[in-house]
Amino acid sequence: MLNIVDLEKRWFIYKLKSYIPHLSILISLIVIISIFLAFSRASQDISQLTITPTVAPIIVKKETLPVKEPVQATPKAVVKIEPVEVLKQEPQLLHDNNRVKLSPSLGFMRKMQGSVQPYYKNDLEYKGQVQEQAPAPITEVVEQEVIVPLSTLEAEPEVKKISIKRQNTQNDIYEIIARFKKNNNPALSLFVAKKYYELEDYQQAYNYALITNKINKEIESSWIIFTKSLVKLGKRDKAITTLEQYIKQSHSSGARILLDEIYAGKFK
Amino acid sequence: MNSIFVNSKDVFLDIVNAKDYIQLDRVSTIYQALKNSIKKPLKMILLYGKPGTGKSMFLNKLHKDLSSSQKVYLYQTPILDESEFYKTLAQDLFETKYSGELNFTQFMKIVKSQDNEEIPVVLLDEAQLYSEVLMEKIRLLSDTRTVKFVITLHKTEKEDIIAKEHFQTRIWETIELENASSGELKIYIQKKLMKANCFDSANMFTNKSVNKIHKITNGNYRDTNKLLYTLFDLYAAYERNQQLSSVKTDQVSNKLIEMSAIHTGLIHA
Ligand SMILES: Nc1ncnc2c1ncn2[C@@H]1O[C@H](COP(=O)(O)OP(=O)(O)OP(=O)(O)O)[C@@H](O)[C@H]1O
Ligand SMILES: [Mg+2]
Repeated sequence: MLNIVDLEKRWFIYKLKSYIPHLSILISLIVIISIFLAFSRASQDISQLTITPTVAPIIVKKETLPVKEPVQATPKAVVKIEPVEVLKQEPQLLHDNNRVKLSPSLGFMRKMQGSVQPYYKNDLEYKGQVQEQAPAPITEVVEQEVIVPLSTLEAEPEVKKISIKRQNTQNDIYEIIARFKKNNNPALSLFVAKKYYELEDYQQAYNYALITNKINKEIESSWIIFTKSLVKLGKRDKAITTLEQYIKQSHSSGARILLDEIYAGKFK
Repeated sequence: MNSIFVNSKDVFLDIVNAKDYIQLDRVSTIYQALKNSIKKPLKMILLYGKPGTGKSMFLNKLHKDLSSSQKVYLYQTPILDESEFYKTLAQDLFETKYSGELNFTQFMKIVKSQDNEEIPVVLLDEAQLYSEVLMEKIRLLSDTRTVKFVITLHKTEKEDIIAKEHFQTRIWETIELENASSGELKIYIQKKLMKANCFDSANMFTNKSVNKIHKITNGNYRDTNKLLYTLFDLYAAYERNQQLSSVKTDQVSNKLIEMSAIHTGLIHA
C-alpha cells in the first residue's frame, strides 16, 4: 500500500533540493554580473583616460609637427594603452571559447549518428537484399553474404568471446537472482532452481522451483525440479503425491517417467 | 468499486504475453525483417538489447505469429543439461522420444535422418545462460541448416563491447532492440491503455507528460511499466482518500510522476 503522506513529504524535499542548483546558478550569476559591472566601470575610467591619447595620434598624422609633443609628453598614455590591449584580447579569448564549445556539439552529432546506425544498418541489410538501396550499405551486405559461409572457422573464437560473460559459477547465481527480482521472469527463477540443484543445494532448489511455480504453474520442469528436490530432502512421500497430482492435470510424460523412477527406487 | 485508475494500473503489470504486444513502427520494421530472414537459409539470428527493451516480448510474439504457419518452438528457460536439451528438441521437433542419455552425435543422427521439407525454428530466450559448450553445439547444429535458431541475449552496459565486436563479425544475423524514443513511448502508453478500454487515462498523456516520463525512464519499457503502475496506484489512492481534487486529472500530474519515480527508485530523493 502506498503511503501518500510520506511520499508527498519526500517529493517536497526532492523539489526543494532540485531548486538548489538553480539557486546557486542564480547567485553565482548575480555575483559574476556585479563583478563584471564593477570591472567595466573601472575600465571605463581607464578608457576615458586613454581615449584622448589614442585618438590624438590619428589627428596628429595630419598635422604631424605640432602634436608630436603631446604624444611624447604623455608617457603615461603608453602605459595605459596596455590595459586597452588587454581588454581587446579578452573578446578574442571569448571567441576561442566559442570555438571550443562547437566541437563537443559536433561530437554529440557524431554520437547520434553512431547510435542510430546499427538500427538503420539492420533495416538496410534486409531491404538491400530485396531492393536496391544506397550503395555503401549494399556492399556491406554483399560482403556479409560472402563472408558468412567462409568464416565458419573464425566463428569459434567469436562464440567464445560472447560466452565470457556467460554465468557458470555460484557467484553468478546472485546476479541472476538480482535480475529475477527486477523482471520477475520465471525463466530466471527456474534457472536458479536448476543451478542450485546442480550444486546440490536442494533447499534452495526447492525454494526457487516453488517461486517459479507461483508465477507460472504450467512449466513442467519447475514441477520436476521441485519434486526431485523434495526427494533429495528426504520427503519422498510428498514428492510422490505432488507428482501424482500434477500428472493428473497435465499428463506430463516427463513427470510420469520421474514418478516411475522414484517408485522403482532408481531416483533417490 | 471499479476505478478507472485501478484498471489502468493493471495495464502496466510487467508481464510478457504475446496478446499484449503493441505494434510500434520501429519494432515492426525489425519484426518484418526478422520474419523475412527466418525464411532465408541464414543460420542463426541473434536478438540482443538492454534489459527491458522487449526481447522476450518480441520472441513470444514471433512464436505466436509463426506457429500457425510453420514449426516453431519457444524455450523461455534455458535447458541446462546437454542431454536434456537434445532430448527435448528431439521430442518437440521430430517427435522422437528418447529415454536415457542422448549425446550430440546421436542427436545429429536424428536430425540428419529427417526429410527436412520444412526447417523448424527454435526460439531460445535468455541465451546468455546456456553453457559455452552447449552454445557451441547449437551453433554447429544451425550450421547444418536443418534447424534454425533465433536466440536472445541479455546485454548489460558491460557486455556492450562484446556485443559490438560480435556485431562486426556478422557471423550471425544480429538485431538490436533499443529503448523507445519519446514519440514511440507515447504510442506505447496510449495503445496499451486503449487496448484495455482505458480511453480517459490514455488521453491524460500529453506530449509534455510523456517527455517527462521519457526523461525518467529513458524510454525503457520495463521502467516505464513500473513508473506508470505506481502512477495509477497513486491516483487510485488519492481517489480512495477523496483527495483527487488536489491533483491534476485532465493531464498527468507532474508531481505524481515525480512521486512515482521516487517510490520506484527511478529518481533518488
Ligand atoms: N512491443 C511491446 N508491446 C507491449 N509491451 C511491451 C513491448 N515491448 C516491451 N513490452 C513490455 O516491457 C516489458 C519488458 O519487456 P521484456 O520482458 O520483453 O524485456 P527483455 O528485453 O526480455 O528484458 P530482459 O533482458 O530483462 O529479459 C514487458 O513486460 C512488456 O510488458
Ligand atoms: Mg527477457
